[in-house]
Amino acid sequence: MNTEAMSLQDFRGKLREMSVDIPGRDLTDEDRVRRAKKAFAQKLNGHRAVDMDTCLQCGMCAEACHFYEATQDERYAPVYKFRPLRRFYRREMSPMRWFYRAFTRDITVADLREWQHLVYDACTGCGRCDMICPMGIKISAAIRVMRHGLAGAGLVPSEMRIIRDEQRDKNTLFGVGAEQLKALVQKLGSEGINVPLDREQADVMLLTTAIEVLLFPDAFAATAKILNKAGANWTIRSDAFEAANVGIITGDDPTMILAIKRIVEKANAIGAKTVLMPESGHAYQTLRWEGANEMGEPLSFDVVSIPEFVAAEIKAGRLNLKTQTNGASVTYHDPCRLSRKGGVTQQPRDVLTAMGLEVRETTSNRRENYCCGGGCGEFVLKSAADLRQKAFEIKKHEIDETGADAVVTGCSNCRINLMIGADNSGWQTPVTSLVETVAANLAD
Amino acid sequence: MTLLEFASGPGLQWALWIFVFGITWRVVGAVFLLSRKDISKPRHTNTISAGLGAVWSRSAPAHAFEKKIRFQHVTGYAWHFALFISVLFFAPHILFFESVLGFSWPHLPNTIILITAIVATAVLIALLIRRATHPVQRFISNADDYISIFVVLVPLVTGILAFTHFGARYETLLAVHLLSVEVMLIWFPFGKLMHMIMTIPARFQAGTAFGRRGVKA
Repeated sequence: MNTEAMSLQDFRGKLREMSVDIPGRDLTDEDRVRRAKKAFAQKLNGHRAVDMDTCLQCGMCAEACHFYEATQDERYAPVYKFRPLRRFYRREMSPMRWFYRAFTRDITVADLREWQHLVYDACTGCGRCDMICPMGIKISAAIRVMRHGLAGAGLVPSEMRIIRDEQRDKNTLFGVGAEQLKALVQKLGSEGINVPLDREQADVMLLTTAIEVLLFPDAFAATAKILNKAGANWTIRSDAFEAANVGIITGDDPTMILAIKRIVEKANAIGAKTVLMPESGHAYQTLRWEGANEMGEPLSFDVVSIPEFVAAEIKAGRLNLKTQTNGASVTYHDPCRLSRKGGVTQQPRDVLTAMGLEVRETTSNRRENYCCGGGCGEFVLKSAADLRQKAFEIKKHEIDETGADAVVTGCSNCRINLMIGADNSGWQTPVTSLVETVAANLAD
Repeated sequence: MTLLEFASGPGLQWALWIFVFGITWRVVGAVFLLSRKDISKPRHTNTISAGLGAVWSRSAPAHAFEKKIRFQHVTGYAWHFALFISVLFFAPHILFFESVLGFSWPHLPNTIILITAIVATAVLIALLIRRATHPVQRFISNADDYISIFVVLVPLVTGILAFTHFGARYETLLAVHLLSVEVMLIWFPFGKLMHMIMTIPARFQAGTAFGRRGVKA
């Protein structure tokens, strides 16, 4: 299987082309602050209020953050990244606001501009800080509210705005839409890989991402092979195939809800019992955990990640894999939104061991795993390139320590970031996907 | 009315009222900011158990972080244990609690209490120095962080002075000790000493949120 893909260098060129400072919404400073506060107020619920009221400012969260660890810059302490939100809470929403107001400075547009770097460039929302907090504060959730505030204020970085607007207005990403998917499906058909496109009824509705179509068509082909081998009654819809959600990445609710709605409505229309998510951590998180809440009712289908699906099919005896006997070893990179934020931790390991691979764990693994350095859309930001590379070096060091032959992951965004990091540093360890590894080991 | 009479009479009463009313106001106020019910399909349904698990598990750092936060971990335990022993097992304190609660419990020898009070004071001073010098802690700290340390430090120091009859008449030292405790009680609902009340609900909600996703918090 060797489907023609865009090269990493070409994709990096495409990202560089996006890195132009396009004018944003023409808002006055007062409007920006007002709109940020409105977004903060909408998202500051009881859970976040308890978080705001419980923080001890102990600073331990800094010790969990790869960006702080890589730079020792105290501004990157996660607790500092939601400082304007806490100030807003204290001044305008806390039961003690009548007291705090006298001592707490109001937020300004200068603050918002400063925090744009801290919450987009210097936070991937990986949530490792959530795991160290002795109070149990969901720090990454607070920082996500910061992104909502900045999106409301029209201060989403240019590159993210470009792809957000593209998804919202054209239902494409990186120029990938229905036509590009159809072309890929046709090409795979000519290679003997059947992809049942646009069926009106199916039990399983597969999603993919523009990244897969462009860069990793082998992963898409591998998923198709696995589904066919397992005998699934499945389809992929050219009018609702995109799993990525730039709305959740940027903090823009209307775009997030629109992208969720496109999938949910189509899955309902074709009677899908399962929506199968491709290798994309944030896409899984969005539909699996936010979908029902944003739609306002429980979903009528299960949202299943590809590692969960494969593990279940192996267990049920519908998928048989060849067992390797050459002593090959791999390490598994846990995508934050699949493992730490999604609970899909054991299944990929079960799948890898089912193929006879030795899984060597990094020092920090599973829910304590280090982020690849470029999650939550950060990999598109030129301004974050240095930080990203420094965070990648931490990941690289832990992977090298395992001595594994290759690193496998279940997220194409992680995969890109690891590949870009490797490209920059001349790192030779192969980076591959779980689904491709499985497809290469399907038993006859 | 002498200073001691004020400190042990109306001063204490007012401080306790502000303490109780302030805590109630702050907790109820936060709870009234209701959260939307999560209707995503849970991976695990026993979220109560997950919540209680997090209340316990967050008392110690996860493996990957152990070495990095050993100082805070050790000093945190030393501080809280020494403080609670000093406050709860000193004979005169127990007499006071008995007058309010109507029941008492055994006390520890004064020598042990003196040692725990000195340990608590020393650890708190160490934590204060760290806050003022550690790059991250110094950078993120605000007035609340320092006020909250001082309003707890002063009762400890004045308590030790009163216990040892050092520096002034016993009645004066006792009055100053009581007044410093009252300042602490008044500050409690306004600052981060509130973590004493909020820690369990905060950990519990983290545990339930992670638990329904099948992640151990």
